[in-house]
Amino acid sequence: METPANRSRISLNPLRPLLRNPVALKELRGRMRGPRAFVVLTCYLIVVGGFTTLLYIAGTAATYNTTGEVDGGTLGRVLFGSVVAIELFLVTFITPAFTAGSISGEHESQTYDLLRTTLLPERQLVFGKLFSALAYVFLLLLAAIPLQSIAFLFGGVDVEEIVISLLVLLATAIFLGNIGVYYSAMTHRTLRANIMTYVTILAVILVTTAGAVIALAIVEGLDPSTSSSGSEWVLLVARGIFVCLNPLTTLLSTQQYLVNQQTLFTFKYTFTDGTTTTLPSPWIAFTIFYLLLSVAVFFATTRHLKRIEG
Amino acid sequence: MSIDNPEIMETPTGEAVAEAPSLTEVLPELPTVMDEQDLIIETRNLSKRYGRLQAISNLNLQVPRGAIYGFVGPNGAGKTSTMRILTTLMKPSGGEAYISGYSVVTAPREVRRSIGYMPDFFGVYEDMKVWEYLDFFAACYEIPEAQRPGLINDLLELVDLAHRRDDMVDKLSRGMKQRLCLARTLAHDPQVLILDEPASGLDPRARIEIRELLIELAKMGKTIFFSSHILADVNEICTHIGIIEAGQMVAQGPIKTMRQQLMPHRVLVITLLGRLDEAKEALLHVEGILGIVDLPPEDGKIRIKVEFTGEDLRMSEMLQALTSKGIPVVNFAEESSDLEAVFMKATKGIVS
Ligand SMILES: Nc1ncnc2c1ncn2[C@@H]1O[C@H](COP(=O)(O)OP(=O)(O)O)[C@@H](O)[C@H]1O
Ligand SMILES: [Mg+2]
Repeated sequence: METPANRSRISLNPLRPLLRNPVALKELRGRMRGPRAFVVLTCYLIVVGGFTTLLYIAGTAATYNTTGEVDGGTLGRVLFGSVVAIELFLVTFITPAFTAGSISGEHESQTYDLLRTTLLPERQLVFGKLFSALAYVFLLLLAAIPLQSIAFLFGGVDVEEIVISLLVLLATAIFLGNIGVYYSAMTHRTLRANIMTYVTILAVILVTTAGAVIALAIVEGLDPSTSSSGSEWVLLVARGIFVCLNPLTTLLSTQQYLVNQQTLFTFKYTFTDGTTTTLPSPWIAFTIFYLLLSVAVFFATTRHLKRIEG
Repeated sequence: MSIDNPEIMETPTGEAVAEAPSLTEVLPELPTVMDEQDLIIETRNLSKRYGRLQAISNLNLQVPRGAIYGFVGPNGAGKTSTMRILTTLMKPSGGEAYISGYSVVTAPREVRRSIGYMPDFFGVYEDMKVWEYLDFFAACYEIPEAQRPGLINDLLELVDLAHRRDDMVDKLSRGMKQRLCLARTLAHDPQVLILDEPASGLDPRARIEIRELLIELAKMGKTIFFSSHILADVNEICTHIGIIEAGQMVAQGPIKTMRQQLMPHRVLVITLLGRLDEAKEALLHVEGILGIVDLPPEDGKIRIKVEFTGEDLRMSEMLQALTSKGIPVVNFAEESSDLEAVFMKATKGIVS
């Protein structure tokens, strides 16, 4: 029966269907109870805000142009890029901490068996844990938008860039969250899950950064007279893959194409022999790749939890 | 309000612990099992290995619907392992296990719907209120949101925690957490409760409360399968017992049958004021007497121990034989064949 009262209740709370997930509701209740959630948010904003201020001071000193005025556009971009980089750094460290204890913690507090003998599907358990952690990370990202927007005051940054940076940050958080929950499901020990999560993330960062740097160096060093366009393609794709596997290089090159070519979704690449080709912007490849990978990790976690121990 | 001693503060009726009812109070009558063949829990040659250790071997568990089944055995006998298999938490290495006819291996979801499980050691979510805790599990059992508040109140009423509804779970005493966990197992109205050592680690008062709760639940029609390494726990409240030792079922069945089967010799102690030889002579004419032994006198009174087999009628015949001759009997009582003796007898030679 649809009474006016419960119709308005539904429309007022878009999270309601998600909160039907008992785990998500319980985790959010627990996370938001007490001072901890508030303290983490405050510390996060202080760190991001503090860095922004420092950069502003350093940036105004460094970007005086020849006429003795501050170059607003450059300062704006530097500030914006720095805030995003700090956010990325914090998301990379906070998300695993929120998720690596999610399932192993249930073992440690001896609550897992109780949960396991209920009718709760494993998929809902994983989703609930993930959703509650990511909701909080999302809150942190939203809270920092005003700081990102300071860059507007100086120009040089568009709304699209903020949206894209949020997308990349969010895809990063979703992937890292899935990795955290995955390791948390694989072991009964939160400490071990944390170590495995951070080691994996560190490995991804190192490999993708090193790969991108090496591929870039080779591309730069190409001699137009000797290289064939075939081998250049291979290098271009290899570099593209490494760039798009790392959120930082993804954001940097996306912004580079945006500034140099004024394009958001694609970029043009000019081969050494003078021919050009059009490719999708790195943020698109990054977001799609990590979201797909997240889905795969999610199902791997669920599958592992469905197994009855032998 | 101090929470240093929640047990004293929180006795549901408001009495102090010192005035707790005596431990031997008369318990309400136990439910009767209608059909011994209607098995709600059944295992066939159930086995479990941990590496080289054979924790359970060829266990054939038979729990009829409506029973209060005490699963007794010393620590390490395999009780918890059996229960973890029955609750779908662990795969058996061999054999089959069924709950309400559903295989725990191939139909775990149906099994989970039929059972309420309380592990031997469990934690509660510390950052929740009592009602939130039950609400969470009710949701996990797919109880519609609209029905939950009423259900939670009923459950809290049942386990005597209604007055703690809005308290944080970690403020509860151990006994109360145990009762809360029991309430949780009832959220989806399961047919079978599987309780692993529900009385262990509780003080005497909390023990009695749990025991009374179990009887009440049995009266509501639930089958209760619980384990214990203490015989005293099962003696008074079980309709059935199963004795497990080193992974093997030593004996199982209705408690009355168990007593008779394992203790075919009944023992009677008679105290007399005199005329011992005449008394012995009179008793020897009664059928079923196996032997008469003199016991050391007590307060100058003569005591004899009579071993016999058969029904209560034999005892009445013996008493008649003595009194008809005017022999001064001052005490005439059967030594109870307590479960401890049954247990010792059943496990004799198996204990390593
Ligand atoms: N996960 C396990 N791994 C290895 N051995 C185990 C495990 N769980 C129990 N055991 C062993 O199996 C035997 C039976 O244990 P358990 O079922 O817990 O007995 P009970 O509950 O009757 O005390 C014991 O010898 C115990 O040490
Ligand atoms: Mg045990």
